[in-house]
Amino acid sequence: MLKTVNQRVSLVLLLIAIFYLIFAYKMPSFPYVIVDADLIPKVLGYLLIFLAVLLFFTKNDETDEQKAKRNIPKKEIGMLFGVGGFILLYIMFLEILGFVLVTALFIYFCSWFLGYKNHIANALVSILLPVSLYLMFTELLKMNLPSGILPF
Amino acid sequence: MKKYLLALVVLLALILAACGDNGADDEAVEADAEATETESSDATESESSETASDWEPEEAIEFIAPAGAGGGWDTTARMAAQVFSEEGIIDQPIGVVNMEGGGGAEAWAHVAGFEGNPYKIFVSSPPIIFVPLNGQSEYGHEDFTPLANIIADYAAFAVRADAKWDSITELFEDMKEDPESITVVGASSPGSMDHMQFVQIAKAAGVDITKIRYVSAQDGGGMTQLLNGSVDVYSTGVAETVEQVRAGNIKVLGITSEERLEGEVLEDFPTVKEQGIDETFVNWRGFFGPPNMPPEAVAYYETKFKELSDSDAFAEIRSQFGWDEFYMNSEEYSKFLDEQKEVLAELMDELGLGN
Amino acid sequence: MGSLEGIITGFQTAFSFEAILFVLIGVFVGTIIGMLPGLGPISAIAIMIPMTFGMEPSVALIMMAGVYYGAIFGGSTSSILLNAPGVSGTVATAFDGYPMAQQGKAGKALAIVAIASFVGGTVSVVLLMLLAPALSSVAISFGPPAYFALMVLGFTAIASLSEGSTIKALISAVAGFMVVTIGIDAQTGTQRFTFGSINLLDGIDFLVIALGLFAIAEVCTLVLNRKDNTMKNFHNIGSLRLSKQDFKEMSGPMSRQSLLGFIIGVLPGAGATIASFIAYITEKRISKKPEEFGKGSVKGLAAPETANNAATSGSFVPLLSLGIPGSGTTAVMLGAFLVMGVQPGPMLMTERPEIFWGVIASMYIGNVFLLILNLPLIPYFAKVLKIPRPMLISLVVVFSMIGVYAVSFNTFDLYMLLLFGAIGFIMRLFSFPAPPFILAFILGGMLEQSFRQSLTISNGDLSIFITNPISCALLILSLLSFAFPLYGQLRKKKVS
Repeated sequence: MLKTVNQRVSLVLLLIAIFYLIFAYKMPSFPYVIVDADLIPKVLGYLLIFLAVLLFFTKNDETDEQKAKRNIPKKEIGMLFGVGGFILLYIMFLEILGFVLVTALFIYFCSWFLGYKNHIANALVSILLPVSLYLMFTELLKMNLPSGILPF
Repeated sequence: MKKYLLALVVLLALILAACGDNGADDEAVEADAEATETESSDATESESSETASDWEPEEAIEFIAPAGAGGGWDTTARMAAQVFSEEGIIDQPIGVVNMEGGGGAEAWAHVAGFEGNPYKIFVSSPPIIFVPLNGQSEYGHEDFTPLANIIADYAAFAVRADAKWDSITELFEDMKEDPESITVVGASSPGSMDHMQFVQIAKAAGVDITKIRYVSAQDGGGMTQLLNGSVDVYSTGVAETVEQVRAGNIKVLGITSEERLEGEVLEDFPTVKEQGIDETFVNWRGFFGPPNMPPEAVAYYETKFKELSDSDAFAEIRSQFGWDEFYMNSEEYSKFLDEQKEVLAELMDELGLGN
Repeated sequence: MGSLEGIITGFQTAFSFEAILFVLIGVFVGTIIGMLPGLGPISAIAIMIPMTFGMEPSVALIMMAGVYYGAIFGGSTSSILLNAPGVSGTVATAFDGYPMAQQGKAGKALAIVAIASFVGGTVSVVLLMLLAPALSSVAISFGPPAYFALMVLGFTAIASLSEGSTIKALISAVAGFMVVTIGIDAQTGTQRFTFGSINLLDGIDFLVIALGLFAIAEVCTLVLNRKDNTMKNFHNIGSLRLSKQDFKEMSGPMSRQSLLGFIIGVLPGAGATIASFIAYITEKRISKKPEEFGKGSVKGLAAPETANNAATSGSFVPLLSLGIPGSGTTAVMLGAFLVMGVQPGPMLMTERPEIFWGVIASMYIGNVFLLILNLPLIPYFAKVLKIPRPMLISLVVVFSMIGVYAVSFNTFDLYMLLLFGAIGFIMRLFSFPAPPFILAFILGGMLEQSFRQSLTISNGDLSIFITNPISCALLILSLLSFAFPLYGQLRKKKVS
């Protein structure tokens, strides 16, 4: 049944559209306007269903180059999740450890993880960049970035 | 080696910018210093520090503007912080932080988590009553410690200069007969300020408030739509109307203050009260602290805000932005807020907007 | 005072030593802040306001205006080099600017942008000077039905913004429109798709979408191609050299889009973003080689950059002559005027001619400074691309994070950035184009609001869209712009 890529994508889109529509129908109504808040979302939901159905029956017209993009080796998928994980850690610890420390650690380890071997250059950038950015934001632009556990 | 040097070129440019910045900064500060020197000769700096309570801030104070840069809350917070520092009313540094989101709800949730902390202060105005009533924030003014109110602004209802109404009563008479023929525009969504200030006055005049047609238009859309004839009435703040009145494009049918305001043009705006509608609406603005702030700290801020409100420097800022003086101490403020909430909750219930 | 006298006073003010010095500082700080992803004109102006205390109002405002258009001028750098549009007005710049930079022509791309911005900025100042008093009536001529029709016209561009499948482009657009419906609805106060989270009440910020779909998605692609060293081998990456052919190609879009961008900028609420998209689309429509667009076309790069700078000058018309701020940025600019005790509005031109005309006249100088400042820096900026890939990836992530964090100071938005980055990458994998998504996100909100405002005003009568002349004309134009390419396609098929 679900042989082509388009058919699989179409199914995912249908699910999104249904999810969206359920919430559009649950919206409370507001008595004093002619067009209520739920009209446009409902139109969009049905439009997406319609387009998803169209996509289901459309032949895949992607070029080979576009198809090739999806052939990612297992190891590379690991790399992507690795970088995603680093970003997640960055966000989680940003307000706890502070901007300077987290950014320094992120730049150093993320670059290393991605294969940057020049450790001296890496360390220099990892320290200088966050410190100068931090000073620029807090001192010149008067915008407070999280200071975290460092004393300044 | 060369590679990361190149990477730092961007930084170099930034540092250069910093120098440019500093240049401007220094000059501005110098000019400021001159200005304050002449002004502060009669300022009351010394008295306060003795009369103030035994609590003193020991670290930097944070003023939170629960909105983006440039809005009313942001301006109030920045102006207050500036006068506090420049006039030497508060010695500790004061940092202004913008915390945008949910019409204030995000910042309120943030501050609510700092129970008893005397260093987290935010600026607020009627939305802290509207937003919880609309069910958009679980925190309302009663969850925080009101410190002091400092300024007031009033609503104005404007129509085009060639409109057939010459007074607010004429407009409301027409609205009583055929409410559907008149469209009102404001910047906020229904159930928030521009809508409710009109509703409150219209209700007092006897208009069926469930039939008022209200359009919300952001980004200066309200004035545009009034001028091009798309809508009939613009519900906004007094200051927003002045220039167009002077140019003869619009006329103000009524403002919501107790008495007429002072100043050129402003003094010509009739209040709705003098036109026989016994109702007022104040767009007050003041400062709040986290829940259960220690009473000594509250007393400290009360005196400091009073000093701010009485200073010449702040008087100048008030006149620049067209704000009215409206000081209330913590106790008066709490009572005032409770009363306001009661009135507005009743109106919202009648409209079916209350949650 | 006659307006000629006023203009002369304005030039005297603008060409005083102090004014020239501060316009220089203003545009310099503006470009630098604009270059950082996430920090656009709004933050730039807000940051500079405290520095103007005590300055002469006319000089201070000349500087602030410089900060404003300087930030727009500088905003394109990160779009081109990193595919990270920091300002909404520069999203369309990335469409052709980034591919061009990836072909080793970053210097050239930045040079084209600098020149196009300069021309757009300068031509529009001439228009501003000649037409500002007259144009204030144009600025208010658009009621809700007319805005609705203008947005419809923008939406007809979706099909032309995609390579390949039209269905996929439409799906992208619907998805972008869906995302913009998240948050409190302005017309009713109803919470839509917020799932009880206060973080979603204001909807999702534009930057989260732009940096997610463009910058973070691009980071994923860069991770996969991290061993690709082609950039290192481009020796003339910072070269500014433009051929005669390039200038010839640029001249058309620059002359047309200076005018069009300016007019769109005059309309409150429309502004630089919409101007840049409409510019891109019209140039693609009338181009003889539309297939080059999106792959590093000179025209496709010059058009949106001319338009967004022209629109910035245009936005000064409602601001100065009506006191109406047409966007978040001009609202902050209005704040800057008020701080200086100057009230923009219909009386400003007669009462404070030195400020009204001084600010306008100073823009000539500001634009020249921007060009002089930016051209020599280009080779250095372009070399950012020569940073080894692993390091570049980390830096793009960090800059995107700061950009988003500086908007709300809330980590929730950072998680959203990561989410939209993932969505953007998945869209790439399955060949769903991102431009229609972002276009629908930008135009969708206004389309819906103006549609519903119109119907509230007309009491539900749909004929309001036809009886309003501007709206009617724009809708006919939309219909033509939709039908024309379709007709062309049909004919092609018949012939073949």
